[in-house]
Parts: sequence; C-alpha cells; structure tokens
Amino acid sequence: MRIFNRIVMILLLAGLVYLGIATIVYIFELGPYQLEDLPNALGFGGLYEGLNGYLGNIESGNVGPLDVVVLSAIALLGLVLLILELKPPTPRRVRMQQGTYITRRAVERAVSPVIEQEPEVLQSNLKVKAQRRPGAKVEVRASIRPGEDARSVQSEVQSRVQQHMAETGIPVSDLRVRANESDPRQTKTRVK
Amino acid sequence: MRLARTVSEAALATEGVYSLGTGRYVEAATYGAGEKVTGVVVGPDEVTVHIVVRYPLPEPIPALAERVRERAASRVGGRATTVVVEDLEVVPDENL
Repeated sequence: MRIFNRIVMILLLAGLVYLGIATIVYIFELGPYQLEDLPNALGFGGLYEGLNGYLGNIESGNVGPLDVVVLSAIALLGLVLLILELKPPTPRRVRMQQGTYITRRAVERAVSPVIEQEPEVLQSNLKVKAQRRPGAKVEVRASIRPGEDARSVQSEVQSRVQQHMAETGIPVSDLRVRANESDPRQTKTRVK
Repeated sequence: MRLARTVSEAALATEGVYSLGTGRYVEAATYGAGEKVTGVVVGPDEVTVHIVVRYPLPEPIPALAERVRERAASRVGGRATTVVVEDLEVVPDENL
C-alpha cells in the first residue's frame, strides 16, 4: 500500500514539476510561446473539451450504464484505498504483555522444530504475523506424502503446536494449519 | 552510557537470558565516546532491552521477559521499559 501511494505521489509530483516549468517558460516568454497556447502545448485541449461534454452529460442525467458502473468502481476503489491508508500499520513484533514483545523470528524458531517432529511432515513452511492485539497469527503449511491422511496430520500438528505454545507461554491469537500433499523428491526431507 | 551498562548487566544476570540481542534491521545499541553497549537502547523517555533467551526455558517466555523488564525498570529512573525477546538459543542440557 505504501509503495502504491509512493508511486502515485511520484507521478503527481512529476506532473506538477512539468506544469511548473512550462508555466515559468510561458510567463517569462522564454521562447516563441504564448500563454494561451499552454493548454494545447500540454495536450489538454482535447481533454478539456471531452471533460466539458462529459460533465454536461452527467449534469443532464444522460449517462450510460457502463459509465455508472465505472464511476461507482472508481469511488469504491478510492474508498478502499483511503481506508487502507488510514489503517495503522501492522506492528513488527508480537506483543506478549504490557512492555514485553517477541520477534516473529523467535516465534518461528520456537514453533518450527515442533512441527518437524511430526513423522508424517516432510517439510513445513511457517508464517508469523504480529497483530495490534497481544498474540501472534501463525500459519503453518505442512508438506506430507501423497496418500497420507491430511486431516489427521493437520489436527496432530495443531495440537502439538498449541501444547508447545502453552508451555513456552508465547501468546497465539490465531493458529492455522494446512497439510498439503507434496512430491517427496521436492521436499527437504524424503524419508523419516 | 552508565545506565545502559547497568541495564545490560541486570538483564544478563537474569536466569534464562542467554545474551543480549543485536537488533535485526537496525543495530540495537547505546553509543558513547569510543564505546557502545549492544542490546540496550537508551532514549530520553524509554529504555529498550533486546534479549536472546536460553532454550530449554526455565519459565514461560512472557514471565521471563517480565522479570527482565522489572529488573531493568528498577534501574532506569522512571523511564518506560520495553523488553524484546529477539531470539532463542538452544543450549545443550548439562544434565544429559
């Protein structure tokens, strides 16, 4: 989101710089230019006429259904972008109590070995996210051999992780485990 | 600098703390003339202590972090104290 906004701002500012330089050139008559030619020189002539006609149509209620859909989509997109921009950023660290935090890396290091202890799990992929409230959001993706019972592995891994987290005291607000069948030739461990 | 050193010693003396962390993206340290204390960041209103905990744990991580926070808070003269558990260090059990 921040990168998107940065790109938009860079484009806007570049446009402003271009407009500013063009205006100065015209104001001080640095060359064979006339101020009244500025909109045409910037390529706004056609745009003005088109915009005028379009706004006239909107005012008189003469708008096609496609235009209504596009305008509504633009308004909705603007609203979504505004909400995303106003939303405070996700914290980098997981809050445990008042004044105590744990890094996402430490949570990963605490959880990974527990998942890989499960005999059916060939490889695991862990994603830890910090939240504004205390506790981490942990997403586990376990790779298992084709033909294994994914559901039982999933519940086994889930209970192991929950038990380990309770022992270590790391607060987890959301734990999701997914077991996917994978080709053992492409995983870190082939045989256990 | 003296404050950072005191906090560092207090944190390292806590059972279950393996070492002080160094920070991940930015070095967590307090800088003085020709020296630095790694793992403790002293600000005007806040002190942050970065720790690496010993594994297996002597107690749950939040309790350990809270104990470090209390020890550090008693030495920082009213500044807000934050403890960040940066990593875990697996230490072989001496009884094995």
